[in-house]
Amino acid sequence: MTNKIIPQRDAFWDKILEKARADKNVIVISADMGAPSLDVIRKELPSQFINVGIAEQNAIIIGAGLALTGKKVFVYAIAPFITIRCLEQIRVECGIMNIPMTIVGVGVGFGYEDSGPTHHLLEDIAMMRCLPNMTIHTMTDSNMSSSFGEIAYESNSPNYIRVYRQTLPDIYEKNHDFRKGLSVLKKSKDYYIVSCGSMTHTAIEVSEKLAKNKINIGVIDAYTIPINQKLFLDTIKGVKKIITMEENFLPGGLGSTICEILSDNEISIPVKRLGLPLEKAYCYEYGGRDIIRAFYGLDNNNMERKIKEFIKK
Amino acid sequence: MIITEKLIAKLEKKSDELRKVILETCIKAKTGHVTSSVSCIDILIALFHGGIMNFDSENPQWKGRDRFILSKAQASPALYTVLADVGYFDKKELEKFAQKDGKFGVHLQMSVPGAEITAGSLGHGFGIATGLALSAKLNRELNMTFALLGDGECYEGVIWETAMFASHHNLNNLVAIIDRNFLCVTDFTENLIAEEPMKDKWESFGWRVLRIDGHSFKEILESMKDIRSRKSNKPLVIIADTVKGSGIDSICYQPLWHAIAPQGQEAEKARNCLERRRNND
Repeated sequence: MTNKIIPQRDAFWDKILEKARADKNVIVISADMGAPSLDVIRKELPSQFINVGIAEQNAIIIGAGLALTGKKVFVYAIAPFITIRCLEQIRVECGIMNIPMTIVGVGVGFGYEDSGPTHHLLEDIAMMRCLPNMTIHTMTDSNMSSSFGEIAYESNSPNYIRVYRQTLPDIYEKNHDFRKGLSVLKKSKDYYIVSCGSMTHTAIEVSEKLAKNKINIGVIDAYTIPINQKLFLDTIKGVKKIITMEENFLPGGLGSTICEILSDNEISIPVKRLGLPLEKAYCYEYGGRDIIRAFYGLDNNNMERKIKEFIKK
Repeated sequence: MIITEKLIAKLEKKSDELRKVILETCIKAKTGHVTSSVSCIDILIALFHGGIMNFDSENPQWKGRDRFILSKAQASPALYTVLADVGYFDKKELEKFAQKDGKFGVHLQMSVPGAEITAGSLGHGFGIATGLALSAKLNRELNMTFALLGDGECYEGVIWETAMFASHHNLNNLVAIIDRNFLCVTDFTENLIAEEPMKDKWESFGWRVLRIDGHSFKEILESMKDIRSRKSNKPLVIIADTVKGSGIDSICYQPLWHAIAPQGQEAEKARNCLERRRNND
């Protein structure tokens, strides 16, 4: 019998179901989104499941009121709508008031690949990471997603959990400690790719291909923003070049975060940011994530070529 | 709660006194929403001094307290004045309103004892109040939640998302009071985008609706006298007809007298208006 990988969404909500059964203060607010575990909560613990309808702004402010009284609130919707649609509610309730609640967005990046640009989420890292008190976690696999159910439950500050819609292979063990905020998946003394989420899987693939050309590139999975600066700086100490890979527009994204850390610490290491250039704007290509990434010049072959050129310079 | 002539006389006296405090607070700070504040001051006085709300100013975090959420947070001078008056903090803090070393500014700040939330962006407080009321229901707690909304605030779409939500969940422990002064910033609401018939709108969203004179203590108290023993499952909205700038005739009921503290001769005129109001009582 093989172990079937469950989607990140289900891994997260399975953990929350476990918490909800043990703690009646756990409340899930859904903007009309479901999941198998949420169906169980709705039936088994109806007072702990609230469907606000397609009303994300209301989901955030109702959640804020509940959280002010000590409820452990998890607000869930399609990622672009539970972030940018209600960004001002998140800013006031989480950024300004620091009300502890967890925002769970499914379908980050090109998760809803065939739904077009309204459903692609390419700006959320930039927008959410400029809010004080907010911590962003990008799910790389389902074991991580389950662990972050636990971490978010225990947290006393606002969290934003970025969940991929597609089932990605597990690369972490079940008991991996994610509290450090980043993991070094492959070590190198010369070069590192820094990525998160689905791009970390791509980073591993690209690094394996380059290894065949005797180019040893390490991979850092930077799943939590703000980044654990000490661990990051210790990891990249002495390296020659850094590449960042992300499924976000470049301004303000993961690559920007890395450049800011280096700049603020007066460290001169060349950085190549691979992400979505603003000039390409939004994508109306269909047929899957690979085709959309190719539209932005982020298909594996192209990224491999860009990395090689960058390293040779 | 027993509504007596003596109680009403006491509240009327407070009404004169606190209007004056609001005006002087804003004149000194050279800022603050004077007209918005005196528009709703009688509602706040009734809630905090009229025996409607349960609270403990010595213990602002008392778990059993009723929650008051000022969703139209531009009226913070009114709330701060009342909170100081009932003993949440030293009245001298009002003299530093929106100034260097002051503890609070033009909009609402949750660090102030009794303020409950930070607000200023419209449409938030009502939803938060609804979340508080829902939490009380889930916990089988008996405290009430009161939210004061502006009529201009009712243009925010999220107000209606929340209104639908609150009635669906039978939050009869929630009372929304709308400060219906018919004025926004630049014009009268009915010239901007008509809000009437407001009663019909709220009724169609599943609320029990009362319409009262928001400057009549008798009507305010009557509207909430049985607030803890209502048989209806519906949340209650009280549309309180008010006058923006009430009691200060020189600046009342005039578009553009918003977010302004009168200065110089305007300040004197405003003071005289309040003096005349007091003498006419």
